[in-house]
Amino acid sequence: MIIRILRFIFLPAIINLALAQEFIPSWFQQLPEMPDARLAVGYSGKYVNDNQARSDALELARKNMTKQISIRLAFDLEELSDGRLRLLNPSFKEYISGGILQTVTANSVVIDSALTEDGYFILLAYPASEYRLILDAGDKTWGARPDWIENLPNEKGFVFGVGMVARYRSWIRAWYDADEYARFDLGKNLQIKAESVHATQRDNRTTIESVILKQTYDLTLKDVTIVARWFDIENNAYYSLSRAPRQ
Amino acid sequence: MKKLLVFVLLISVALFTVNCGGKKPKAKMDDIPEWYLNPPQAEDAIYQAGDAVKTSMALAKDAADARARDAIARTIELKVTNMMKDFMQQSGLGEDSEALEFTSNVSKQVANTVLRGCMIVKREMKTEGSNYHGYSLAEYNLNSLVQEALDEARKQKALYNEAKANLSFEELEREIEKLKEVGE
Repeated sequence: MIIRILRFIFLPAIINLALAQEFIPSWFQQLPEMPDARLAVGYSGKYVNDNQARSDALELARKNMTKQISIRLAFDLEELSDGRLRLLNPSFKEYISGGILQTVTANSVVIDSALTEDGYFILLAYPASEYRLILDAGDKTWGARPDWIENLPNEKGFVFGVGMVARYRSWIRAWYDADEYARFDLGKNLQIKAESVHATQRDNRTTIESVILKQTYDLTLKDVTIVARWFDIENNAYYSLSRAPRQ
Repeated sequence: MKKLLVFVLLISVALFTVNCGGKKPKAKMDDIPEWYLNPPQAEDAIYQAGDAVKTSMALAKDAADARARDAIARTIELKVTNMMKDFMQQSGLGEDSEALEFTSNVSKQVANTVLRGCMIVKREMKTEGSNYHGYSLAEYNLNSLVQEALDEARKQKALYNEAKANLSFEELEREIEKLKEVGE
């Protein structure tokens, strides 16, 4: 009986840990710098057909490269609070150029790829040219929690953004969303229109604070690169760091 | 013996019920970041903190960030209004009714402010039961604030001049009408 209960409690945790991303290519965690070239990462799940996995990873890498070159982000957040309930309604819209995607597809090259326990990873370079392989690109574990999760990096000439998601069933979807949130977060750090109305109603016994808050931006960003990622295995949380030159 | 068993059972049920119907877990004081309770003070920057509790980590972060930035926006509104008042007094325009009108317009305008370079410099995410409690610290450089105030003042001055120009034009039109009447 006890064994059954223990199995019931621990089995999902063990499965979760077994399926968690433990090993990843080093360039997936920390994107290397390469002079005269842009780098972007693509990934997909592990399929029966490796070619299909590679194809999906390559497609995502090309989209990520296109977003890195230029992306229009429209962010809108509304929060209404009447003292009893709070309603939060964020909206994220992004637009990429079909022309840039075509150029990237025609003029980019895969410089490294990795097939791990979890899926397929691709490192794409643009423009296509002869590149040396990255030396220490072996599989690695995630290591210690990076400081940028709590403290935004302060590097002269650059602006950063952090994306975070947790408790996702699919690691592919989780990284995709964490990357997107990191791009949107960078936009907020550049420029955002903030409007709000705060009203406080007091009587002898109660105080009711009503808030209407609206924050928006619509920006076209260039050179936004996902430069680092970190996976918190214990809490099933995914973090991405984006960086762009300050214009 | 039976009575004892019933008593133990009742106590167990009561404890179970209290536990299930208890309040939502709240942040312990030790878990709250120091910078949330006492935001840093600096001569060249404004700091404000925000927090939010949500079931989704991404939403908790977005809401906490938004509240920290909103606090910055409200601080700026106050500071810009005060700066404009100081400016009016220093330039000897404080008693001028037009200038006073100008000041009140500015304070209305900056309620909707565009924050340039307002960054979330520190962030912490705590778990409280099944919820995430996000804490964010926003930083706004005062150089941006001065620029904001100057832009606003320029905008208002331009509007004021435009309004004055329109008034003169209307006066001119009235004069022309008068001339026409005399000609007839």
